[in-house]
Amino acid sequence: MAADQTTIFRPAPSRVRQALRFLWPLFGLVVVWQVLVMALDVNPRVFPDVPTVLSAGWKTIIDGTLLTHVGASLLRVSVGTVLAIVTAVPLGIAMGVSRGISTFLTPPLRFFSVLAGIAWIPIATLWFGYGFGAITFVIFNAVFFVVTYNTLLGVSTIPMPLRHAAASLGAGHWQMLTQVLLPGALPNIVTGIRTGMGFAWRGLIAAEMIATNTGLGYMLFLARDFYRTEVIVFAMIVIGIIWLLLDRLLLAPLERATVERWGMVQRS
Amino acid sequence: MKSLVLEHLAKTYFDPYRGTQVEAIKDLSLTVEEGDFVAVVGPSGCGKTTVLNMIAGFVPKTGGRILVDDREVSGPGPDRGVVFQSFALFPWKTVRENVAFGPKMRGVGKVERARIADEYLEMAGLSHAADRYPNELSGGMQQRVGVVRALANNPDVLLMDEPFASVDAQTRMTLQEELTRIWEERRPTVVFITHDVGEAVFLANKVVVLARGNLLAEVDISLPRPRVWDSLVHDNDFKDLSNQVLQLVRSA
Ligand SMILES: Nc1ncnc2c1ncn2[C@@H]1O[C@H](COP(=O)(O)OP(=O)(O)OP(=O)(O)O)[C@@H](O)[C@H]1O
Ligand SMILES: [Mg+2]
Repeated sequence: MAADQTTIFRPAPSRVRQALRFLWPLFGLVVVWQVLVMALDVNPRVFPDVPTVLSAGWKTIIDGTLLTHVGASLLRVSVGTVLAIVTAVPLGIAMGVSRGISTFLTPPLRFFSVLAGIAWIPIATLWFGYGFGAITFVIFNAVFFVVTYNTLLGVSTIPMPLRHAAASLGAGHWQMLTQVLLPGALPNIVTGIRTGMGFAWRGLIAAEMIATNTGLGYMLFLARDFYRTEVIVFAMIVIGIIWLLLDRLLLAPLERATVERWGMVQRS
Repeated sequence: MKSLVLEHLAKTYFDPYRGTQVEAIKDLSLTVEEGDFVAVVGPSGCGKTTVLNMIAGFVPKTGGRILVDDREVSGPGPDRGVVFQSFALFPWKTVRENVAFGPKMRGVGKVERARIADEYLEMAGLSHAADRYPNELSGGMQQRVGVVRALANNPDVLLMDEPFASVDAQTRMTLQEELTRIWEERRPTVVFITHDVGEAVFLANKVVVLARGNLLAEVDISLPRPRVWDSLVHDNDFKDLSNQVLQLVRSA
């Protein structure tokens, strides 16, 4: 009991401490990596040591190739995600308020959500050619279905009395949408975006290996052709770090700012 | 007259899965005069919530008419304010924004509706909580917000379905006294649903007893006002009226 009390009343850790607590296991991993490579005398073609990877990475930073690839990847993810959100949210809300629409659209959505992501790469390259269009389409696909489903879920779990209350206070259709349905579904929408972007980021790397000549996926693929294991490892680390930054600095705070502030429990 | 009139109101629920029907309200006629406070009591399942939801426009009726201020009701509208048992405050809006919601829907400007909200919050003793979110408030405070949110929209009729059923006994008595005080000052037209006979007699000018979808009796409550629990708990008229209503409910 006493132990519980002290845990409960301990002040929240500062942001720096939180960051350190998150980073030190990763740092530990790097140490293990270096120790193992040295101890086992691993062939650098198979797995390079830490300094080799760092210096290869440094070169890509200096000559600007890293920036080009990261920029291309981020642009595709942003455009695909934004397009997906602005189409999926209205669709999810329409399905949430109209039983007819949701009955009609649920089967095709179920069908396509299984295919969402990289299964579309072949046909996307036929439609859009290699490059930006095809890959953005794949991203769009990965985010769209998750956000649609979560929006639908969010709208249909808004307690009926809230909608009744708004109607009794004089809310019309538009006001119901902006004042009740959207904010009420927001926790689920944000969760959908977070999950969808996770899918999208993985799908992006796969798509870039096949369908383009820029981006982090392409950087991986190209390095493999030249047996540049140190560049492969570096690119993989960058892919992981960018996702962590996106998730921790953009998506998680977004979730916190809305959901926790209002005391709305996560419903999915 | 901004009265509320129910004429031969009827409601049959259909259960499409089992193919059964429930006659929740059979034939109910009732007039609530402007400025009156009517409490509706009756055993569980007698149709109290059904009546209120039809007046509010949440549930379609299957027979009869509902008139508010001589206009027939079709769907929810700001002429009928509703206070919910579950409070139904918007969790993403502050207390002030919740109370200002009705005026906002009417297109009242930002400054003016904040002023209206603050006036009503002061009436409910909640000025200090105006900038908080509902989840930061106790149940009693939340329902005070629920009541003034409905009042701030100036409805012709205030509809309340067991609004104090989910707060503790002490808070409930305080809320009952506050509601009485507000009603005595402003005289809104109120339809108040409860299964608590004491609450009905304490608050209302008239208690309506429902039984199996029909009106069983109307009892006038001519207790003097202002009403406070300290004096009424020992009042013989209050006890007699409560007993009379209780007998009716139990016979229902
Ligand atoms: N949506 C519904 N579908 C089918 N039957 C319903 C529905 N709502 C209520 N009923 C039935 O109608 C009758 C009246 O229900 P109602 O909720 O109006 O009673 P009540 O007087 O409010 O009861 P309580 O005091 O328990 O709240 C009950 O038999 C109930 O089972
Ligand atoms: Mg009820």
